[in-house]
Amino acid sequence: METFINPKSLFHLLLLPCLLLYSSIAYNSSPVEAAMHTNNWAVLVCTSRFWFNYRHMANTLSLYRTVKRLGIPDERIILMLADDMACNTRNKYPAQVFNNENHRLNLYGDNVEVDYRGYEVTVENFLRVLTGRHETAVPRSKRLLSDEGSHILLYMTGHGGDEFLKFQDSEELQSHDLADAVKQMKEKHRFKELLIMVDTCQAATLFNQLQSPGVLAIGSSMKGENSYSHHLDSDVGVSVVDRFTYYTLAFFERLNIYDNASLSSLFSSYNPSLLMSTTYYRKDLYKRRLEEVPVTNFFGSVMETIHTDAAYKALSRRNSGRFEDEMSLDQSVHHIKRRMLIKVNDGDEIHDINPEGEEGASKCPWSTFRNKFQKAENVDSLLNYGLVAMIPLLVISTWLVQ
Amino acid sequence: MVLLQRPHILLLLIDTHQFLQCWIAFGSANEEGQQQEEFSEELLVKPLPDHKLLAHFHFQSSAPPSTSNGCHHHLFPKAISQLVQKFRVKEMELSFTQGRWNYESWGGFDPISSSNAKPPGVELWAVFDVPQHHIDASWKNLTHTLSGLFCASINFLESTATYSTPEWSFPPASGNVRYGTFPCEAVCTENLTPWLRLLPCRDKAGIALLLDRPSLYRGFYHSQRLHLTSTESSSEGIDSGIILEQTLTVVLQPNSERAIEVHASEKHVQPSWSLSSIFGKQVSGRCVLAKSSSVYLLLDWGLVAELKFPNKENGKSAANGLTSENFWSNPSFELSVNPDRIFLEESSSHSKSLSILYMFQVEKYSESEPFDIGLMWKVPVAWLCQQTPLHASRFFMGSGNERGAIAISLKSTQFTEGFMSANSKDGSCELRVDVFQVVPWYVKVYFHSLRVFVDQQPRAVSDFIEKIHVSPSKDKMSPGVMEVVLKLPCRVNTAALTIEFDKGFLRIDEYPPDANQGFDIPSAIISFPNFHASMVFLEDDSLNRSPLLSKFQEKCPVMSYTEVLLVPLTTPDFSMPYNVSTIKCTVFALYFGSLLNVLQRRVAEEERFLKAKAAKKTGRLPLLLSKLSAKLRGRRREPLHSPPSSSSFINSKLVLKVILVAGLAVGWQYFFS
Repeated sequence: METFINPKSLFHLLLLPCLLLYSSIAYNSSPVEAAMHTNNWAVLVCTSRFWFNYRHMANTLSLYRTVKRLGIPDERIILMLADDMACNTRNKYPAQVFNNENHRLNLYGDNVEVDYRGYEVTVENFLRVLTGRHETAVPRSKRLLSDEGSHILLYMTGHGGDEFLKFQDSEELQSHDLADAVKQMKEKHRFKELLIMVDTCQAATLFNQLQSPGVLAIGSSMKGENSYSHHLDSDVGVSVVDRFTYYTLAFFERLNIYDNASLSSLFSSYNPSLLMSTTYYRKDLYKRRLEEVPVTNFFGSVMETIHTDAAYKALSRRNSGRFEDEMSLDQSVHHIKRRMLIKVNDGDEIHDINPEGEEGASKCPWSTFRNKFQKAENVDSLLNYGLVAMIPLLVISTWLVQ
Repeated sequence: MVLLQRPHILLLLIDTHQFLQCWIAFGSANEEGQQQEEFSEELLVKPLPDHKLLAHFHFQSSAPPSTSNGCHHHLFPKAISQLVQKFRVKEMELSFTQGRWNYESWGGFDPISSSNAKPPGVELWAVFDVPQHHIDASWKNLTHTLSGLFCASINFLESTATYSTPEWSFPPASGNVRYGTFPCEAVCTENLTPWLRLLPCRDKAGIALLLDRPSLYRGFYHSQRLHLTSTESSSEGIDSGIILEQTLTVVLQPNSERAIEVHASEKHVQPSWSLSSIFGKQVSGRCVLAKSSSVYLLLDWGLVAELKFPNKENGKSAANGLTSENFWSNPSFELSVNPDRIFLEESSSHSKSLSILYMFQVEKYSESEPFDIGLMWKVPVAWLCQQTPLHASRFFMGSGNERGAIAISLKSTQFTEGFMSANSKDGSCELRVDVFQVVPWYVKVYFHSLRVFVDQQPRAVSDFIEKIHVSPSKDKMSPGVMEVVLKLPCRVNTAALTIEFDKGFLRIDEYPPDANQGFDIPSAIISFPNFHASMVFLEDDSLNRSPLLSKFQEKCPVMSYTEVLLVPLTTPDFSMPYNVSTIKCTVFALYFGSLLNVLQRRVAEEERFLKAKAAKKTGRLPLLLSKLSAKLRGRRREPLHSPPSSSSFINSKLVLKVILVAGLAVGWQYFFS
């Protein structure tokens, strides 16, 4: 081990904790987080061509049916199907697609709206949809017109491998591409929260490069594992659904739009022995606790309602920013308090040295401090302080030992 | 009391609502001057000779020119009127087709086949009312809009390599036409649903209720067409009137199960059918917004000639017997519902016999008494449909992956032989045939190699080709277009056009994912401008003329499409580049790796040895400390002070190297000076 430390690196070492502290503060009070959840979007992608990949289309259409049933309208669903299975000449049941042997449910009913199909399902178009960079002529129905209040469900299925997903057997979407697209979406305020659900072999590896906050990812299998199909329909002649999607649907079939099942209950419903693969979910970029997030936040279109006394409170709430979430039952008291805060804020604007816009922090430090303590994640920042205190000690000891 | 009264109020509301709707549909049609938007729904059923059944749905909406409000419509779909206004479309036709129209057994000389038999996939043509240099931009935007509207990849037609500008052979002949086809487009319910959404009653009421998706797509042929014509907008204030014609043509096999059962004994008996057995649904009343709602059963004149109608001998005096029962109580078949009216074809050029049209009005039927016609055959009948003057087919010649030839062959048909001989009073009878062929740029056609064979003899091109227009393809820019007017003698048996081509190469990113399947060459259009397919039926009142029947009366030239050709192009072996690059990389890695190893081995070894010694002496404590800190921090795994340390390690090495090089340089300098 190299033990030589020059003074410059020591300086870096000391600077680093400061930066960490700074960033943790900045992170907590970034203005984007304050946006309300106002709408839901879904991007459902089947990337496989050819008849023997029937099950991938059935997967996607099952999810399409589920999100539609739970309240996302057609104009907010971007459905990409790489091939035509319903009217395929090999299909014994024309204009019908089934995801179960019992043929009780025709997924390809009278009201399917496919936005991208056939040769249009390419990596380029997929990334264009995510990032919103279209030609001017592209119609609205083919665009993802989400905003900073959108919760987006991104479901992808097809054939994949270590850090890639094949499109139409001729192109690949790499984990870097996905991460870059998501990052760009974040920069452009195209989503508030994003749930990426992938049903491919080695799906977990596709999330490796993600780094944008607000992203939650779930994959059907870990690195080195395959995702298997559930069962074969001997009438149709091919496998009709994948295991991961099958059990996802089994979970959702019990739910309706009013249910409060949380994401963690969805994630814990997967049984590795039934799936024959281990589901993987990446939640380190996601701030909320999964127990508190209902599945309808992503798979349906259920908005949180906030009761207000008067008609137009939006402006004042904007100013108060991050206090929004902590609104207690005793609203009137809070309102008065907040108004006071805003007034003080207006007066002191010139003296405000904190560029992060941490209103209230300089004015009533005690309440901010208390607020910070109330939040679960601020235990982390406390830990950070402790660590920062430890680092100089560590450095000095290393130096002395040498 | 209030509770009791409520139903009455509701009923009253419903009544007034219905009244209002009816008023919209009919009432104001009588108003003078101001025309109203109209909608009509019709279905025509026709038995085909090969035991199949043709169902032709015809929906027509029209918006008259209006001065006041361009964007308000009662019945007319707003999406279409906006499209017409935005892109200034004068005329447009879009069709989605699956399957191939069988010209030999389903006929080619009637209005249905010449205007509704379409090439497989998507076909779009449009005439624009904009200046020449704006047409391509309008076309591009139109394709995108339509692709959004109909859930199809029509937007592939936006690139200049896929569409063409027919000069004169295409029917709506003018310079502002753009024509494009996309043969490999899949057609399914997602295309039909938006098409149905343009109807005022959608598929919830009226005849459209029959459109059960699985039974439609089980058919042999399925073509969904949208044709719109906008009248000239003379001044700025007046919006153009639009006529939107939506047709759906399907060829179905009536109850195939029963046909199999009886097939041993009564093989030639036409299968009996009813609407409910074909579509699995019944019509429960008309769409209340429709001006007219009727179902027709058409018996082809070929079939009528076979059937022994009692007054067949009377010939054209049959008009007297129209109301009598003898037309529908026939020994050879039986109708389950009595027709409301019967039309006889007025006159026809073939004059052997006359087609009969049975009309059923859907208005009379309701939810409790749904409408369902059926046809029961008692005796076997066999007949032939009237075919196009010449039967066209197209095929490839040659072998190999380099070159080949396209041949369009025209064969005379039985029907036309007799017709020709009857018509050719003077010796110089000529048959005009227009050929319109678009070839994608990667099939490089040599137009000079065009050859004509008449009755299997090679003949001089100038003898038979009256007019030819050719625009050669440009690589990745525009397709090759060939328009030919042939003048053939009436007594010709076969004629063939051949043209040679070389296969081009595409760039690797231009290959579709299923390149091994081959590439489609769009159908050629063969039209016979001297022949017009029309059916004129005797109608007593011209007041409420059916749009379908008036459509039949229009003289449209007989047209037929040839097959789509599948040309296999040389597809790159996509694994080859990977093989090459991996082998190359391995070789490079082996060579440079070993070279570098040899060059650098000594120094590195010494250094590592030294470092290992030093680490053994003092290494323990800092290592432990760093591990501990990493654990405390939880997520941040990488030890904080490792980057600086490693960078300092690199720094020291770098300094050493720099000193070494400097020393060498000084030594060199010293030695040589």
